[in-house]
Parts: sequence; structure tokens; C-alpha cells
Amino acid sequence: MSEHHEQSFWSKYIFSLDHKVIGKQFLWLGLFFVLFGGFQALLMRWQLAYPEQPVPWWLLGDILFSGTGGIIDPDKYNALFTMHGTIMIFWAITPLLIGAFGNFVIPLQIGARDMAFPKLNMISFWTMVLASLVLLASYLLPDGTAAGGWTSYPPLSSPVGGIAGEGQTLWTLALTLAGTSSMMGAINYIITVVRLRAPGMTYFKMPLTVWGLWLTSILNAIFVPVIAAGLILLLMDRTIGTQFFISGGLATVDGGDPLLYQHVFWIFGHPEVYILILPAWGIVSDLLSVFSRKPAFGYKVTAIAMTTVASLSMLVWGHHMYTTGMSPLLGKSFMFLTLLISIPSAMFFFNWLGTLWKGSIKFDTPMLFAMSVMWVFGIGGLTGLYNATITADIYLHDTMFVVGHFHYTMAASVLFGSFAAIYFWFPKMFERKMNPFLGKLHFWVSFIPLNYVFFNMMVLGYGGHHRRIYDPSNYDFIKPMMWLNEYITWFAIALGLAQLIFVYNFIHSMIKGEKAEANPWGAATLEWTLEAPIPHGNFETVPTIYNGPHEYSNPKVKDRDWISQSEPISS
Amino acid sequence: MMNQITLWIKKQGHLFKKASWGLWFIAPPKDVSLDGYRIDKVIQYTDLVITIYFGIVILAMLYFVVKYRARPGHKADYDHGNSKKHVMATLAVGLLVFFSVDTVIETMSFRDLKEAFWNFPKGENVVRVEVMPQQFAWNFRYPGADGKFNTDDDLIPAQNQMHVPVGKPIVIQIAPWDVIHSFYIPNFRVKQDATPGMVNAMWFQALETGEFEIACAELCGNSHYKMKGYLTVDSQEDYENWLLSLAPEDDDEDEWDDWGDDEETAASDGPPADWGWAWKEIK
Repeated sequence: MSEHHEQSFWSKYIFSLDHKVIGKQFLWLGLFFVLFGGFQALLMRWQLAYPEQPVPWWLLGDILFSGTGGIIDPDKYNALFTMHGTIMIFWAITPLLIGAFGNFVIPLQIGARDMAFPKLNMISFWTMVLASLVLLASYLLPDGTAAGGWTSYPPLSSPVGGIAGEGQTLWTLALTLAGTSSMMGAINYIITVVRLRAPGMTYFKMPLTVWGLWLTSILNAIFVPVIAAGLILLLMDRTIGTQFFISGGLATVDGGDPLLYQHVFWIFGHPEVYILILPAWGIVSDLLSVFSRKPAFGYKVTAIAMTTVASLSMLVWGHHMYTTGMSPLLGKSFMFLTLLISIPSAMFFFNWLGTLWKGSIKFDTPMLFAMSVMWVFGIGGLTGLYNATITADIYLHDTMFVVGHFHYTMAASVLFGSFAAIYFWFPKMFERKMNPFLGKLHFWVSFIPLNYVFFNMMVLGYGGHHRRIYDPSNYDFIKPMMWLNEYITWFAIALGLAQLIFVYNFIHSMIKGEKAEANPWGAATLEWTLEAPIPHGNFETVPTIYNGPHEYSNPKVKDRDWISQSEPISS
Repeated sequence: MMNQITLWIKKQGHLFKKASWGLWFIAPPKDVSLDGYRIDKVIQYTDLVITIYFGIVILAMLYFVVKYRARPGHKADYDHGNSKKHVMATLAVGLLVFFSVDTVIETMSFRDLKEAFWNFPKGENVVRVEVMPQQFAWNFRYPGADGKFNTDDDLIPAQNQMHVPVGKPIVIQIAPWDVIHSFYIPNFRVKQDATPGMVNAMWFQALETGEFEIACAELCGNSHYKMKGYLTVDSQEDYENWLLSLAPEDDDEDEWDDWGDDEETAASDGPPADWGWAWKEIK
């Protein structure tokens, strides 16, 4: 598998089989879409703060909405929130955490020469590129892109639902392709972890990052096929005239059921939340240990707690559907199972605090982002209790409260987890260091507006403000809250501008950053034992593993406060 | 003390309003329903416990950050936190959260469902209304003098206008004509999806007269945001007069003139002659 022969430009950078190059390809794709999807959020926020006022030139209002004098019309607004959600979940977070870091980190951390199936890995990336092209093409259609919400419930998303054009068809196709890419990646990661661990790398010696990515891949492999099946049925409804999901007044034949789509969507959709968050939990658990210079507290308990959450996540999808009129027995069961997740969650939160306890804490940029995940996921996780509660959810369902809540869990936690990962592994990926001052500045100017934006969205929802409405000022009960909508928008713009610091730091450091030594953080996991540039094939000889992933401040190690997993501790 | 501080900050509202957290200034719309307080209560209990737990986590984190910050002469403990004592402590924390938060919320919620939200009222007293949302309006129907739906004397008010009497239980059955909608009255803390192919039910009771907004909470198309109705809570007398004013003078289908107004972009072939369903008795 180890190939050291000369490669052409194409096989080295474009159709590369090297997991490290594919990881970087996913990173670029994810970073492009995170900016693209984030920009759409700002346009949406503009309309919510200043309904039907022209979007200013610096948000490209006169270019993007030239036909309407810079004003976003209701169809375009619906397209904005639909694509913001779709892109952020499937084209930004998924490629960043799973595509980029899953690829880059898994083989290096378990001591493998590459993924188990390098060609499948390459095909997985190029399937994602194809999916991206289909998705972007949908913007060019005369009637615009999809506008049925990221959930795209039929019959609204079916041909009789009243959304003009074929944007919804391309959306469904693009998502099916993205799902195919995810499935290929998932199978590859699972097999790699099961089969290619270096000698001595038992499951309970794997870094928690690998645990998180591995559990995520298992969920992906089980549940992406479910949504893919649902999407293919929806695609058939849209293209060849079937009516799987059409019922009621618009149906011409009996037997269709829109509720079926909701079940299929959320059987996948709830695990998807954990698919996105598990890698972030793993990364945070490892980074807290690295920067506290102390072994991860209760490592095994954390790994088991994460596994428990992954298992429970398969059984709780119904809490998205309390208001659909589901059977009371089902509703109560889903509420009970959902609340059970708080037990393992409380346990690894306790372990995170335990890791900091009596550590020697260093505040490098990755650590700031890792600790902030405790803050944002703390809020995100705890506010999930309202949505898990059937009665509270009757009032809060489909309000801005839910929007604020899932942005804390998915956007804030996962994005900050990704930033922690980028700042942490940048020296290994690009052999240079990122500027620490700009990194810390980026952290603070992101953290503060982010909290203002998402916390106040929850406040709006608590005030009754329902979601996905083009002009909130249409309702008397929302009018007194419009000032908050305005302020959220300005803080969201600040949050967007803050990312320019990151973009500058990222690109500048890649070209002109200070050269990084092999192990700048003094970390114990295997990837830091490799000298740059890491060749295709990673390890000259596959290492033997002696220690756990978090051997910091071990008194038996004399001259430094860490020891690599592949170095035996002499007694 | 805490209350005084809150009060003082609220008094400075015009100064703080724009800069501070919205939470100080925004409350849910006034609850005018018999059972809405139950929802507010479970939300308030959750507010309390999650503030406590979040506070503990953040205070501990800040304390550790200060106390155990890296500095010359300070060394981290070599401790894996995997002794029996540590694992038991971790488990204890998990169980503490389960019993102080989960079981309490669940008990409250299940009790409220049993006593109120899923305990449908029966008897002569009950006012029954059928609701059929469409893109982008609310249609309501009352059973008329014979007390039965789907008969000639059904009463159909203008679109988006619903009236109910104060102090009486109102049972609603709802099914949409086209896509999924959700019937949402913030002042009553109620919300019920309307899904094609299903007839769903909910109930509420008003404590005060007045006019309240009805919103569609489930995305239903480009004019979703304008799908607004009004719930007028009348005194018994006003309500009866209103019903009388609806009594059909002839059997024209005048009521359907509003169908397919200019907002509608759906490809529907128009309204069905018979949109309602015979009342579904709930056990």
C-alpha cells in the first residue's frame, strides 16, 4: 500500500488516493460552503430585521435581488433558509468534521498507512463534488432553488405542493448524492478502525477523537440509507408521478402518507444530530487533556457514555413529531427515551470538568475553542429538555426557540469543535503554525456575538415568535419583539465579519506562517510522531502501541510531560 | 435582593434594552387559557434546574481555569480518573441529573397530559369546531342546529374568522386541504399539526373574552407568513348572536367565493364541494 514512487499532478492532488490529501480536499469544500451558507443566513437575517427593505450593497443586495430593487421576495426568502440549513448541515459541517478530520486523523491516530479502501475514499470525495455541482446548479434555474425547508416535508415539496420550478428536484438529487458520499465514507472509516489499528492499539487505547468519528460512521452507515430511501421515493413523486407522500385534497390516488416521510426523515434526522456532534465531543475530550497536560478523566466512561448516546439516538426521533397527533403511548415513550440521554451527557460533562481539575491548563487557541464547546453545548444540551417535554414542546415547537436551541448544539458546538480541530491540526496538515494572536482574537469576536444571536433566538421563541416567517411584523404579538430581531441581525453580521479574521489567518499562515516542529503541542497521539512532510503511506514501519492516548505528566517520564503512544515507558 | 436588581434593570429598560439580553424584556404572550399555566410552569421549572446545572458547570470551569492555569512551578496531577471512586462519582452525577431533572419534568408533563391536554371534555357543554387549513387561509365550520357536521345546516364563517364562547371547552378537529399546516394560538399555548390524510384533535378553554391571533406554524409555501387568522372569544350571548348571523339564507355556495384568492399558488383544482368530515368520536 505504501507508494513512494513519483506521482503526476493529477494523481497527487486531484484524484489522490492519499487520505491526507482527500482530507484537505474535504476541508476546502467545507470551508467554501460554510462561508456560502453563512452568507445566506445574513441575507435572511436582514429580511427578519428590516422586512421588505432593500438589502444593502455590502450584502450584495443590488446584484442578488436586482429584479426586485434589492428586496428579498417571499419565494427567495424561503429558498434562503432552505439552502442555509441544507448547506450548513450536509455541505459544511459534514465535510469539515467527518470528511476532513475523519480522513486526515483516523489513519494517523490508529497507526494505519491509509484508509482501508483508498479508491472508495477518492470516489466518496468526487461524489460529494458532483452533489455540490447539482446543488449549485439549482440556484441557476429560472424559478430558483429549493424552498421547502431543509426538512422538505411533502406534500409541500412534492410537485403539487405549490413551489414553482425544479429546484426542489435538484435539491433531492443533490442530497441523495451527498448521502451516497457519506455512506462510502462511513463504510471506509468503520472498516479502517476495525481492521487497520496498529499492533497494541486496542479499542480502549484509541484517542477519543477516533471513538467519536467511529461512532459517527456507524450511525451514518445505518441511517443515511434510510433517508436516501425516503429521498428516492420523494424524487419519484417529483419526477415520475408516484404519490408515496401525497394525501388529502391534492392526491388523486389513495394510500399516500405525508407522515411516513416525517418518520423516515427523523429516524435519520435525529441520529444526524449526533452524527455531527460525536466527532466534536471526541475532539474536545482529547484537546482538554492535551492542554490540561493531564490524562483525560474517566477515559473509558467517556467512551462508553458516547457509545450510549449514539445508541439512544436511534430511539428518540419521535420527539420531533409531538405535535403531529401521534399516539399518546408513543409520545410518552419517546419523551422518556429522550430524557435518558441526559444521563450519559451529564457523565461526560463531569469527566470534562474532571480533566481540567488539577491540570496545568494552557490557553492556546484550540483550547479556547474546546472549552467554549462546554459552554455552548451546555446551553444547547440543557435547552433540549424543553423540546423533549411534550407539554413544553406544544408551545415551543416550530418557534425560534427551536432554531436557537439547535444552533447551539449543531452550529455553535460543531463549528467551534471544527475550529478547535483546525487550529490544533493545522501544523500537521500544512507544516506551519497559525498566528496565535489572530486565533484568540477570532475566538473572542466569534464567541460573544454567537451567544447573543442564538440565545436571543431562543428568547424570541419563548415570546411565541414562530419560525420560517418572511415578515414577522405581520403579527401583533411579534411586533413588540422586532427590536430584538434587529439586534440579532447586527450581531450576526459581526459574527460573519469575525470569520474574515479566520480566513486571513488560515490562508496567510498556510503560505507564510512560522514553520511548525513535528509536535508543537506536546501531544501524545501517533500523528505527532511523524516528521513533515508525511509521505503517502504515513509510517515507514507500523508502530507498536504501548500507552493510552493521554499520557501527560506521567511521573515515570523524566525530561518532558508527555510520552507518545508508541514509546514504551521505562520503569 | 435578586428581585430588586431585576426590577431596577427593568426600570432602566430604555437604556439596557438594546444592549442586554432580550430575556429580561420578553415574556410569552398573555395566557388566556384554562390550562396554559401548566405549560408555563413546566417551562419555569426547567428554567430553574438548567440554570443551576449550567451555573455549576461554568463556575467549576472558571474556578479550575484560574486555580489550575499553567504557570511556573505548577504541575498537573497524573490521574486518569478511573478509580472505582471516580467512576461511582460520575455515575452518581448522571443519576442525580436523572432524578432531579428528568423524572420531575416527566411527572409534571405526564400529569398535565392526563389531566388536561389529552383529557378531552365530553358532554352537552362542549363546543365543536372543524378546521380545514389551505394555502393560505383558515376555514372553520360549526355543526349548526342539528348538532351534526356534514349536513346542510352547517355554519361556515368568513375565512380566518373563528369565534368561541368564553368559559366553555372547545374541541377542534383539524385536517388540511392541501399541504401540512399547524394551528397555533400563542395566547392559548396550543399547537396542532394538520397533516393531509389525518384528522387530528385538540381542545382548549378560554378564560377571557378578546381577539387573539392564530398563526400557521408549519411551513406551507411562500405566503406561509401571511396565513393569519383571528380567534374571537365572545361572551355566551355574543357567541350565540354571531352563530345566528351565520345561518344560511339560501343554499348558494357563497362561502366559497374566497377560495383561490390571489395569494394562492397551489395547483389545486379548487375547493371540494364537501370539505368536512363527519365528527370523529374520540374515546
